[in-house]
Amino acid sequence: MPPFLTVKNVSRSFGRNRVLRDVSLSIEAGRLVGLVGENGSGKSTLLKIITGMLKPDRGEVALSAKMGYCPQEALLFEQLTVLEHFRCFAAGYNLPDGEWQRRMEELLTHFRFKNHLRKQVAHLSGGTRQKLNLSLALLHQPDLLILDEPYAGFDWETYLHFWDYAEAQIGAGRSILVVTHFLSDQSKFHQIFDLKNGMLT
Amino acid sequence: MNIRRILTGFDLTLRQLGRRRITILLLLLIPTVFYWVVYYTTSERIVPFKLASISEDTLIEVAEQHESLVFIGVAAVGFLASFMGLNLVQKNAGVHRRMVLCGYRPWEIFTALLAVLALAVLLLALYVGGGLCLFFTPENLPGVILGFFAAGMVYGSYGILAGALIQGELEGILLIVLLANIDAGWLQNPLFYEGAQNKEFIRYLPAYFPSQVSLTAAFSAFSFKKALAWSAFYGGVLLLAGMFFYHLKTKIYR
Repeated sequence: MPPFLTVKNVSRSFGRNRVLRDVSLSIEAGRLVGLVGENGSGKSTLLKIITGMLKPDRGEVALSAKMGYCPQEALLFEQLTVLEHFRCFAAGYNLPDGEWQRRMEELLTHFRFKNHLRKQVAHLSGGTRQKLNLSLALLHQPDLLILDEPYAGFDWETYLHFWDYAEAQIGAGRSILVVTHFLSDQSKFHQIFDLKNGMLT
Repeated sequence: MNIRRILTGFDLTLRQLGRRRITILLLLLIPTVFYWVVYYTTSERIVPFKLASISEDTLIEVAEQHESLVFIGVAAVGFLASFMGLNLVQKNAGVHRRMVLCGYRPWEIFTALLAVLALAVLLLALYVGGGLCLFFTPENLPGVILGFFAAGMVYGSYGILAGALIQGELEGILLIVLLANIDAGWLQNPLFYEGAQNKEFIRYLPAYFPSQVSLTAAFSAFSFKKALAWSAFYGGVLLLAGMFFYHLKTKIYR
């Protein structure tokens, strides 16, 4: 089975500033992987290249699995309800009716925000927005889930529920990449990549 | 082509617009205020002006007030549509990018946004056209409304282009002000055009042909088909440019 994600000799510069230098990594099935780096280390650039938002100057990225991406900032429509968000993203993932509603029910129950289903995002608390932000990335049951600085927005309850969920997903052969400037629970991770000055150490 | 995504995008974008009650209130209030200010400040004296899109010799005589009301109707729909176009593309750009990461194609989102803009412009053109009838009866009301719609689509497309090119909200607004105010808001007034220098320059601006459609329909029985076709051309060019830059802005390298 090929790795879910392979990053091979990726480099990227902005003007004279070399942000990434020959970065290579791979993520196999059933792995919890951390990508750690301080501000300015190049992790945001690497994340954009992995998700496809940015093109590398050199090197290549191969993705052989269904990807789910949870951005750091909750990217949501203020005037849409929670239910409408699920409907919007279900269309993107091409999930048939019935299947996405079932998945939505599971996620609403697991992260405990079912009572907010018909509320507009503008009226949700920061914690509930983060739950929705994460749930939208999980709706299509991705093989590889990429989380950008997840701890920044999670409240304690969501944090605990997230780890429950993560353990179940990894047990089912799925993988999670956590991109962060600080990892508090290093023992939970199968592998940690440390990015310094655009290079993996 | 995924029809479900386009319909979902259209439905949800329309719902968002419909829930912005103050925005809707202002969309209705602004043309109303413009009309009443023009009505209050212009005279009923008869003035001659040229229907330049017909020929430089086609001179017609109408009340200054009526001419000014049609002109401000075109300007109001153009302004409002350009800001709507800008807002549709710019406001949720981050979420649209996320939708592309989740499977939407940029042009599917773009089509949904454009359909919402077209519907909003149509309703606005009908409202502003209907409002005109409170002041006088145009020769050809559907033609006047068609001109309003054309002005809305041309400047709405310009707003989309501005939103696709510029990230900052204020910068986008200034880019619209740069063209819309001088073009739709001043140079296309036929009373100004009558004595203007370098008329060729004015004829190349985006609001020229839509203004001519509405003015021709309001005060004459001349055909406005040519002006309408040129309006569609201007709108199409601006829209294609907007679509191109929107694609660049949201595309995924994979």
